[in-house]
Amino acid sequence: MKDSYLGQAWLVLSLALVFGAALAGVQAGLSGRIADNKLNETYDQIPYLLDLIDDDGNVTVEITVKIWRTPDDKLAYQAVDPNGQAVGWVIKGVGPGFQDRIELLIGLDPEAETITGLFVLDQKETPALGNRILEDWFREQFVGKDATKGVVVTRASPVAADNEVGAISGATISSLAVGDIVNAAVKDFRARKGDLELKD
Amino acid sequence: MANDGPAPLERFLNGILPENPVYRQLLGMCPTLAVTGNMKAAMTMSAAVMFVMICANLITSSIRHLLKPHLRILVFVLTIATFVTIADRVLAAYLYQMSKELGPYIPLIIVNCIIICRCEVCASRQGLGAAAFDAVGQSIGFALALASIATVREILGAGTWFGITLLSESWWPVWGIMVLPPGAFITLGFLLGGVNWLSMPRGKKSAGCGVR
Amino acid sequence: MTDKTDKPTAPAGPVTHVAPSPHVGDRSMTTRRMMTDVLIALALPTIAAAIVFRQHLLWQLLGCVGAAAVTEALFAAARRKPWSITDGSAVVTGVILALSLPWSCPWYVTGIAAVVAVVLGKMIFGGLGQNIFNPAMVGRAFVMIGFVGAMGAKAYVTSDPAIDVLTQATPMTVWGSEEFPRLGALFWGNTNGSLGETSAIACLIGGLFLCIRRTAAWQIPAGVLLSASVIASVVDLSSGETMDVLKHLFGGALLFGAFFIATDPVTSPLTPKGKFIFGLGIGSLVMLLRLLSNYPEGVMFAVLLMNGLVPLINRWTIPTPVGGPVPVRKT
Repeated sequence: MKDSYLGQAWLVLSLALVFGAALAGVQAGLSGRIADNKLNETYDQIPYLLDLIDDDGNVTVEITVKIWRTPDDKLAYQAVDPNGQAVGWVIKGVGPGFQDRIELLIGLDPEAETITGLFVLDQKETPALGNRILEDWFREQFVGKDATKGVVVTRASPVAADNEVGAISGATISSLAVGDIVNAAVKDFRARKGDLELKD
Repeated sequence: MANDGPAPLERFLNGILPENPVYRQLLGMCPTLAVTGNMKAAMTMSAAVMFVMICANLITSSIRHLLKPHLRILVFVLTIATFVTIADRVLAAYLYQMSKELGPYIPLIIVNCIIICRCEVCASRQGLGAAAFDAVGQSIGFALALASIATVREILGAGTWFGITLLSESWWPVWGIMVLPPGAFITLGFLLGGVNWLSMPRGKKSAGCGVR
Repeated sequence: MTDKTDKPTAPAGPVTHVAPSPHVGDRSMTTRRMMTDVLIALALPTIAAAIVFRQHLLWQLLGCVGAAAVTEALFAAARRKPWSITDGSAVVTGVILALSLPWSCPWYVTGIAAVVAVVLGKMIFGGLGQNIFNPAMVGRAFVMIGFVGAMGAKAYVTSDPAIDVLTQATPMTVWGSEEFPRLGALFWGNTNGSLGETSAIACLIGGLFLCIRRTAAWQIPAGVLLSASVIASVVDLSSGETMDVLKHLFGGALLFGAFFIATDPVTSPLTPKGKFIFGLGIGSLVMLLRLLSNYPEGVMFAVLLMNGLVPLINRWTIPTPVGGPVPVRKT
């Protein structure tokens, strides 16, 4: 017994079983909450992204959110007012930044023709330079831009054309990355808007 | 294996300064450098490490008589990985923003050598009492070290402490470099030098650190 | 070393005194003489800067040299060592640092740069001769990353009409555009930029003086200028623009860096061949950073990076002694 594999390894094997069971329990208990956290992070931003907030910070339209799925399994959130009228879309855009992946939420009007808001979900850009993409003035530049044409990030200031967005000085790459992610996500969503399926 | 080694209280006190994991053993450098940009992140990390270290030490100590020498590291890692995963999930469930900020550094506690070192040095040789006191002492030492670095970096780099503005940006220009990786190395270097200098025997101080 | 009881009794035989590098055979080549030479050579860019930037130069110069000297004194006092100000290295570091800063640099940024230059750049390693990186550039890099607003392209420009050139953008930030100054302005120094870098002629004359006095090894600036002009010519030919080479050489901090920063004997290689390789590396890195990076200028990073490679270059270029290579003993 002592020299057999089992005699050597019984402790490791039984610990693995016990720990595995414990982890399964933790996962079962918390996974719902973790998923909710991720979802809420998106939900909380929807009124801001669709410009449903008045000057006092109150939500002007009571909305419910429908989640749609594109054929390639991306999610799109559709906000609907109490009369069943669509208020707008919120889609997610992901792409490479200067340091690491940037995750954005983009708000669009019901026809997906105008950008109504931009929120940075996740970024690890350089502090004091690239992470200024979080600042309101930079994000607000995207509001009202024509989604059919896409935005152009430019170093020139003041910006000349309608669809231009001024880059953050010293963080051109991060600014360009945000513009590219927004354009790619919006273009992709507009191309697939007809094929959406309601997620149960 | 007899219950040999320092008494529980001694283990506890040793962890705080005489055998401080960061300043004396230079262990756990990855979180020390990576998550000390602000106090909140540093303290969350310390709490997670404390939880994992106490649990791992207690489990290791209670099964120490069953351990086979050549399989012990496997058992340590298995135990540590389990509690790290629990800590990671709990943070994601209850402190979602912080869990996002700490990113990969919570899962990386698995390879934090402070914990495996305590399992090997103390918990696998001594009883539950010593192991528990050792884990608490070491993690307080770790928390103090992280707090000292994070305090310097957050105050200089952002003018805040625990997110509370101490130095207003209107008259305090923030030192952007301190919240970036170079700031971590520079701060750790200076504090390490400072701790060594302070704990040098009095006679040697005056002679400086020159070669005799 | 002030401990009297510990002091060994004077040895009877001859003493081998090992001083920190630069190791030079010539008795007249003391650290002090070299530093005086550098200061004399630096006088030209300083005067050019004084003509362009007037009082701004004075404040930066006083701030940097003062802070560097005081820091060195404090550090020496803390370590109970004699104040090493007389070797002039703190003054040289202070002047080079001041000349590499923008004119508008706030006093605390100037001060921090000087303190970091002396403490992190030099003293931490054990003082002059032990440091790996050029102290002035360490100080500048620290504030460059730490205080982006005070060091970035915006810091150079003002609408204050008192001094004309301060309304222009720095040459390297408007590379290729209409605003780029004419070669004549770059040559004489009537452009915006870091304090000491504007006048090409001042840097050239000061640098040649250093090379003739052998305080600076000519191989380093030669290497920098050679590789920079080769890369600039290649770009020139492929883009069809003319005179880009001269613009690259005269614009920005290339000449100042090649003659005054890269030639620091402590942080450059020991052998002539190594010095040339070191120069080539700096020139190529400067061009790489100028052409492909987000920064308009790359002299500081190029010098720091090559400083880090110096031990490697030294190993590559161990000279063969008279009588053939030293046989490798098998163990």
